[in-house]
Amino acid sequence: MNLKTRLYGKVYQFQNVTDVLAKASELKSGDTLAGIAAENTLERIAAKAVLSDLTVHDIRENPVVPYEMDAVTRLIDDDLDAEAYKKIEHKTIAEMREWILDGKTTGNDILHASRGMTSEVIAAISKIMGNLDLVYAGNKMHITATCNTTIGEEGVLASRLQPNHPIDDVEGVAATTLEGLSYGIGDAVLGLNPSIDTFDSTLAIWNLLGEIRDKYEIPTQTCVLSHVTTQMEVLKSGKGKADLCFQSIAGSQKACEAFGISTDMLEEANALFRDRGSAKGKNVMYFETGQGSELSSSAHNGSDQQTMECRCYGLARHYEPFLVNTVVGFMGPEYIYDTKQLLRAGLEDVFCGHLHGLPMGCDVCYTNHMPVDQNDSETLLMLLANSGCHYVMGLPQADDIMLMYQSTGFQDIAAVREIFHKKPIKEFEDWMIKWGIWENNRLTEKAGDPTMFF
Amino acid sequence: MKDITEKEVSEVIYADNIAHIEELEKMKKATPARIGIGHTGARYKTEPMLRFLAAQAAAADAVFSEVKEDVVKDLGVFEVRTKCASKYEMLTRPDWGRIFEEDTQEYIKNHCIQNPDVQIYFGDGLCSPSIQANIPDLFPTIKLGLEDKGITVGTPFFVRYCRVNTARTIGPLLNAKVVCVLIGERPGLLTSESMSAYIAYHARPEMSESDYTVVSNISKHGIPPVEAAAHIVDLLDEILKKKKSGVALKTD
Amino acid sequence: MSEEVILSAGIDVGTSTTQLIFSRMTIKNTAGFGKVPKTEIVSKDIFYRSKIYFTPFLSSEIIDGAKVHEIIKKEYETAGISPKDLSTGAVIITGETSRKKNAKQVLESLSDIAGDFVVATAGPDLESILAGKGAGAGEISKKSGKVVANLDIGGGTTNICYFKDGEVYDTACLDIGGRLVKIEDGRITYIADKVQDFINKYQIPVKIHERADVQHLELLTDKMAEILAQSVNLCKPTEDLVNFRTNRLITVNDPVEILTFSGGVASCMDQEYDVLQFGDIGVLLAKSIMKNRYFMEIKTAHAMETMRATVIGAGNYSMNISGSTIEYTQKDFPIKNLPIGKIRLENEADIEKIGTEMQKAIDYFRDDGEEVQIALAMKGLACPGFLQIQEIAANIMETYDTLFDKNIKLILILEADIGKALGQALKRINSKGRDIVCIDNISCNSGDYIDLGQPIANGSVIPVVVKTLVFQG
Repeated sequence: MNLKTRLYGKVYQFQNVTDVLAKASELKSGDTLAGIAAENTLERIAAKAVLSDLTVHDIRENPVVPYEMDAVTRLIDDDLDAEAYKKIEHKTIAEMREWILDGKTTGNDILHASRGMTSEVIAAISKIMGNLDLVYAGNKMHITATCNTTIGEEGVLASRLQPNHPIDDVEGVAATTLEGLSYGIGDAVLGLNPSIDTFDSTLAIWNLLGEIRDKYEIPTQTCVLSHVTTQMEVLKSGKGKADLCFQSIAGSQKACEAFGISTDMLEEANALFRDRGSAKGKNVMYFETGQGSELSSSAHNGSDQQTMECRCYGLARHYEPFLVNTVVGFMGPEYIYDTKQLLRAGLEDVFCGHLHGLPMGCDVCYTNHMPVDQNDSETLLMLLANSGCHYVMGLPQADDIMLMYQSTGFQDIAAVREIFHKKPIKEFEDWMIKWGIWENNRLTEKAGDPTMFF
Repeated sequence: MKDITEKEVSEVIYADNIAHIEELEKMKKATPARIGIGHTGARYKTEPMLRFLAAQAAAADAVFSEVKEDVVKDLGVFEVRTKCASKYEMLTRPDWGRIFEEDTQEYIKNHCIQNPDVQIYFGDGLCSPSIQANIPDLFPTIKLGLEDKGITVGTPFFVRYCRVNTARTIGPLLNAKVVCVLIGERPGLLTSESMSAYIAYHARPEMSESDYTVVSNISKHGIPPVEAAAHIVDLLDEILKKKKSGVALKTD
Repeated sequence: MSEEVILSAGIDVGTSTTQLIFSRMTIKNTAGFGKVPKTEIVSKDIFYRSKIYFTPFLSSEIIDGAKVHEIIKKEYETAGISPKDLSTGAVIITGETSRKKNAKQVLESLSDIAGDFVVATAGPDLESILAGKGAGAGEISKKSGKVVANLDIGGGTTNICYFKDGEVYDTACLDIGGRLVKIEDGRITYIADKVQDFINKYQIPVKIHERADVQHLELLTDKMAEILAQSVNLCKPTEDLVNFRTNRLITVNDPVEILTFSGGVASCMDQEYDVLQFGDIGVLLAKSIMKNRYFMEIKTAHAMETMRATVIGAGNYSMNISGSTIEYTQKDFPIKNLPIGKIRLENEADIEKIGTEMQKAIDYFRDDGEEVQIALAMKGLACPGFLQIQEIAANIMETYDTLFDKNIKLILILEADIGKALGQALKRINSKGRDIVCIDNISCNSGDYIDLGQPIANGSVIPVVVKTLVFQG
């Protein structure tokens, strides 16, 4: 395995695969903070050059966290499809990149092959892709999954309605939910982040969202984003139900432990929600990720944040989720500093998620302590709408009044659907037409009146 | 003169053609979210768009602006800075935002009384305006309240480019039983001058994050500073008596 | 914080029936980690309902206090509740009964045996409010956003309460009820005075001591139903409405959108009874309301409780809890029946006038500088500064010290969330060492009375009952 190259006569030597991956990664403040980023841009390119010559085999055999010490590594490696792996084992990362971009290679070809790729392999391929490569390749992949409805069909841009409230006030949550619905938002999920992670608040919001879904016969799914243990407890109590089980996940066992989860726990949750939840289909999990969460719990094991993020997707795919999204700009400027880093992270996360065979969405967002503003969010939203992103977040004027950050607004999603000829999920679209919100593939005048439902 | 921010967003309906306007008014009372803002085509109307931009600008400015020297002077305290040399460093290097250069540590030591029961200091954190907005009411109320209880209060000072974890250095440096950092919170669009108090018993480098007792949302839009201060006084008293803070205090 | 469960009692001694309930209230800090605590009542669960007794009387003017005692005592025993288990609750004497000669006495003695902080309440307005809440009309209004009126039609009176967006909006009371005419063995044995006047006016063939004729009685109840329709503005009011007024009529102009019915007469609406089964006109009145054209046109909703609306109101809705950041030095609770003196303190300019305002409020309650214990209520500035708090505290303490000796407690009831800050500032300058209670998040007015209960949730909050218009006249 070669870890050395020359650029303009200067020799660049890397220590190991983890080091190559980290230095080949596009600049992120988190990797600088961790002290593992390339020292300068030329060193970054040198790392990309070295990486491009490594084989799928080289990378599989050198996971960034050793197999023996990490449950996430074990799960990713054990899940590999031996046949698919055998076909690509000796290909270089450069060859994989070109094969993916090749006009003859279809999305299904790619998704079949990716079952033989570990998360590090997928990270490696993305690291030698430019932003346009990511969009070009990402557009090929459509990953469907079914809860009550089916996400991921070609030509669809779905949305999560995020009706958060500072104190989970039921009426306040209902108000925002109706406002969002009146703009045709919520086909991916009606999903609330509770301000207090308790049995009572989870149950109350489950019941509220379920009531709204049933009362207006909305073809969608419901979810409360409390801790997985809270949701399991409520479901087991028999007092209420939801369609989807949510959990934030991370790319190493240690980082998962910091989130209070394990692979077994997720397994149990998946089985429980399939068995006793209210979903009709078999895809009942909803995961969120975001670059930097491993470093923030000192559980990155010397690996770069984009590779660790990819390992989240490797973990996620084991559970056949209905939704996975990166909350790309939530972790703060320590991890993703500015617009350039944010755009890159959004594009690579969505691409890598898709390459893992996940129905991937993105919370296009930023916090107020990043030098980023709403124009940047709008730009990334337009980019993602063109790179096959399956769903994005809908908030009232993009503002989350509980988590104090900005994402994308109801109107933003409506505009992007109209510009890029994207539609909501079919059954939901029919529902919108029934209410007179949507006509000729765009919003009507009537849209935006939350009181139409009374 | 016109000021589009004069009324709270929650008091204004921008949407047209609302079927039941009184219902929308009730909905808006139930949430501070920006609902009932309407649309033109699939885009925002101009005034709500400008209001969003104004609120986001206020929040961003709160983070990226500096606490003016006059403000520190008016508080009558001295100023030090962490290892960070700029806002950029403060935002990207949390590891530097919690430590001080050697000579700064000496300076602090020389300008403060030693071994106080409670050491209180102020940090800009992620919200510079929170210092001017809250400290003049927050700190004197805490100080007076503690002194009434016979608790000694250390010399207050201001830390620029400050992170919460400066407490891990300040605690041992001044040999304080309890450290209380009053620090600016990350602003949102609803408020850009909120502050939190992070309190730790026996603060030290190897302490855990869960050892902090936190009081957040201190501002005229949240918990009034004087009332928060009165609450903090009792918390500090309890922490001193029980000799623990954070999760350990809660599960007591 | 873990939950704390407290027990509450509701006792209603009405014109025709006496009943009791016990409920469990769960108190919890609902603020998340890192937040200033916010303790709230998160659930109310009625776990014991007594039998429904006829209220015993010694004569038409005197309640049989001893019998009432006996009933209550027996129910406590059956429920396995001892008065010391109760943290709160209310005894209410309602309807005509509250006008009996010994009503006040019975009420107060009942509240003594019922529990330390089971308060005595009465008054037609409060009755209307409690019945409306107990019937669930407040909840229906909150959920639907509609103006909801509850008519609690009892033996002697009809208590009306309007709710708008879940809040009490207006109240009224009429002397119309099911037991205003009584029938024994087919003969009319009692007609209340106002009803007699009414009968005379319209020459309705209903006469005392004569045989009761159902058709004639129906003429009467149909007309009573008509007046009830007038009372909630379903049709034009007449002089009759004014004549049947107990104390006040509805004054707001908003039309009622949903009606609920509670009280004994309402319970006759759902079930088939023989018309004279209860020896009164209750069943007939229920029928008359149901077939009244105005009542048929308006939307009605089922009350959550009919017979027991008032008693549930008393048990579940009479108590509030204070804000969670408060200050007190007082050790002995409860403190009962404190008259409220309201002081204007809403903005900065009011601070310097506190002294004169206090003087005025206190003088209203006493003659010649005698010592009286009252509670001072004020709205309070929403976000006062450090110096303002010191100034407010200084002005209050200075005036209080000149007016009262140290044995009079300083009790402040604030609306704004500044109770702890002001309380600490007061303690600091409390040179006489008097007891201080300074609580917030409670709204009350001059003329109200207030009861403060034993602090709960580790002493962080105080249960409060604000009593509006107790025993007026």
